[in-house]
Amino acid sequence: MADTPQAFDTAAILKAQCNRYPMLFIDKVLDCTPGERATAQKNFTYNEWFFPPHYEDDPNVPGFVLVESLVQAFLMTFLSLPEHHGSKTNFLEIKDTSFRRRVVPGDTMIIEAELTSFKRGIARGQAVGRVDGELTVSGAFTVGLPHILSKFKPLAA
Amino acid sequence: MSTVDQYKAAFINTFRVPSEEVEALAYQSIEQWDSLGHMQLMSELEDIFKVELDIDDIIDFSSFAKGQEILGKYGVALNG
Repeated sequence: MADTPQAFDTAAILKAQCNRYPMLFIDKVLDCTPGERATAQKNFTYNEWFFPPHYEDDPNVPGFVLVESLVQAFLMTFLSLPEHHGSKTNFLEIKDTSFRRRVVPGDTMIIEAELTSFKRGIARGQAVGRVDGELTVSGAFTVGLPHILSKFKPLAA
Repeated sequence: MSTVDQYKAAFINTFRVPSEEVEALAYQSIEQWDSLGHMQLMSELEDIFKVELDIDDIIDFSSFAKGQEILGKYGVALNG
């Protein structure tokens, strides 16, 4: 399944996955081996829509944005494969999510994501985000590709 | 653990149902056994019994009882 390592700028990410503003969080993919792993970057500036409300006197990145950023890096491990470019995806499971560091305006998070299995439209793997080299957030994910899953839908009993 | 207990455990672990309910289970008989739950069950069974199910068998796998018959085709004898 492995291919030559690749990098994705924002335009290439937009071709690979369906997330769009304000829900596309990763800025670029620094390095990706399709079908195996991806390293992505997310820059957080005060211009982000979620900082003013979260919180006015203490802006920091909401947990769901950190998790979604991890998952978007994880998606690139398999949406980087040409046959899956542009596929829609659904969360099936999030496990072992851990938050270790606050993320504030000006921080850059580097995310390392790994695909451990991809079978019949179900992708499993994990991702770890770090800011300034410090462990920030991590989790294990199961994501489905509904257009593939539907081919395996069982007959009614 | 016997093979039939392993088979039951796959349903219990995937769908979080009591052991006394597994034998009556069928596709869509509980909300957990939807199309996504079905794929999780198939993966769980493949891992347990070290088999790779064909697409036709995955589609035919419509109940606890039908699954026993299908796994038999792969040489998995579900003995108590």
